[in-house]
Amino acid sequence: MNTLYQASLLAHAKQPYGATRLAPGTEDGEALNPACGDEIRVKLVWTPGGTLERLTYELHGCAVSAAAASMTARCLEGRTRAEVAAMGVAFASRLGREGFEAEWGDFQAFNGIERFPARMHCARLVWRAVEQALAKGPGGSP
Amino acid sequence: MKEDRRDGFDPDALRRQFAILNREVAWLDNAATTQRPESVLRAMDEFYRQHNANPRRSVHRLGTEATAVYEQARAATARFVGGAAPEEIVFTSGTTASINLVAAGLARGEIGPGDHVWVSAAEHHSNWVPWQKAVHAVGARLQVIPLQPDGRLDLEAFEQGLSGGQTKWVAVAWVSNVLGAVNDVRAICDLAHAARARVLVDGAQGVAHLPVDVAALGCDFFAFSAHKMFGPMGTGVLWGRSSLLQRMEPLFYGGEMIARVEEQTATWADVPYRFEGGTPNVAGVVGLAAAIDWQQALPAAAHAHVAELARQAADGLAALPGVAVLGPTTGAPRPSLVSFTVQGVPAHDVAQVLDERGIAVRAGHMCAQPLLRRLGIESAVRASFAPYNSADEVRRLLAGVQAARKIFT
Repeated sequence: MNTLYQASLLAHAKQPYGATRLAPGTEDGEALNPACGDEIRVKLVWTPGGTLERLTYELHGCAVSAAAASMTARCLEGRTRAEVAAMGVAFASRLGREGFEAEWGDFQAFNGIERFPARMHCARLVWRAVEQALAKGPGGSP
Repeated sequence: MKEDRRDGFDPDALRRQFAILNREVAWLDNAATTQRPESVLRAMDEFYRQHNANPRRSVHRLGTEATAVYEQARAATARFVGGAAPEEIVFTSGTTASINLVAAGLARGEIGPGDHVWVSAAEHHSNWVPWQKAVHAVGARLQVIPLQPDGRLDLEAFEQGLSGGQTKWVAVAWVSNVLGAVNDVRAICDLAHAARARVLVDGAQGVAHLPVDVAALGCDFFAFSAHKMFGPMGTGVLWGRSSLLQRMEPLFYGGEMIARVEEQTATWADVPYRFEGGTPNVAGVVGLAAAIDWQQALPAAAHAHVAELARQAADGLAALPGVAVLGPTTGAPRPSLVSFTVQGVPAHDVAQVLDERGIAVRAGHMCAQPLLRRLGIESAVRASFAPYNSADEVRRLLAGVQAARKIFT
């Protein structure tokens, strides 16, 4: 991997799935990267059956954080809270470490990101916000 | 590059004094930290190999030598800032420590409820947050010198703000680390002093590029770091007017900053030693002195070369489609750096694409979040220059920025 900017990553960054404007205070979780100022606020909408209907977010950040948020929003739809949490653990164990297998699809664009350690924080940003949202419990935002 | 040679100045020859520049890197992040020439590294190495001892407390010969080099560095630094008295030089760990020392050790005790402390809209966080803390501690107000539409400081607004008479302190950068413009510090000091306020100048971005003369600037305190002027990290300077240093409280209590310690009380050593509690960073200060020597041996053409590179970069970037250059484009000198945004390309991604081409720049909020918020942007890219940079590196920068835009559009 000579470049971070593979076609699949750029495609997500240019048209991020789930990106929106969130009115202040309506987010379920947020994360900030103080080193660069990148910031994400996420909203998780659950079906009555307890699966994730939609993850939307407002992101002010770089292409890496945008692509990660877009891929994550797509892959988490339809999953239960437990599954979302498990995905977060699985993501963390692969990013910059084991790497993403074929079944992770577009996430494979992050394979080799360990060559750019500063950017791993960008890829993690959305997950930190999702984890904060999950930690609030089924009641969602207060 | 032949075109870089002017008045006998050859950046390639200079470059050979910097071992790190043998790496495949165009170092355009000099505003974050410059590189160090061999003479600085050698001086620091020699201190540890030949003279190492704890200064100002040892009777043995090495201790005497360590004291001598430490105090020689103080005298050299005093000359460097324009011929100050050596005892007006306080060695610190850097600009941040110098500013915090003044804000907490002196300013906080001089301001009260309702008083005003001014910073400029373009200050680095290190010349913003210490003043925030000082005013919050006493119920004073932090006021902000706004920017004019052209990016220069609005000194008329500042003057009007001073007219209420509540202003006690003003803290302003000599050169903005984002906008790259030289502020009219003399005018700010004159206005502030007419209002009986004190002025601290953050000199960090100026000391490598402009002749320093604290008397000509007219300030009361002047702070800077060695590592932004070819010296080592972890070493900084606070120059202060002697009468004001006498009134300032130390922030760190301990060894070598005392005159006499009783069980329940203590008195302080003379200025400046009372502000240098603990074993000082002698090697760092020796490196600073070597950096001063190195810098003062540079021909004037070296500084003209840096300003020319900054101008070429600013003009070249401004001419690129989708690129916006921050800060004044006319009317204010731009000695060393240029910040910019690229439409459709987040700043970090511009920097990443440039890094893939071996070009090191800074991207992000550049420790100036209040400024970027005023400018309506979240981040920017900054290229900053030193005498060892070349016009070829500016060309590579411009090509890299175009490549980044192509990737994202």
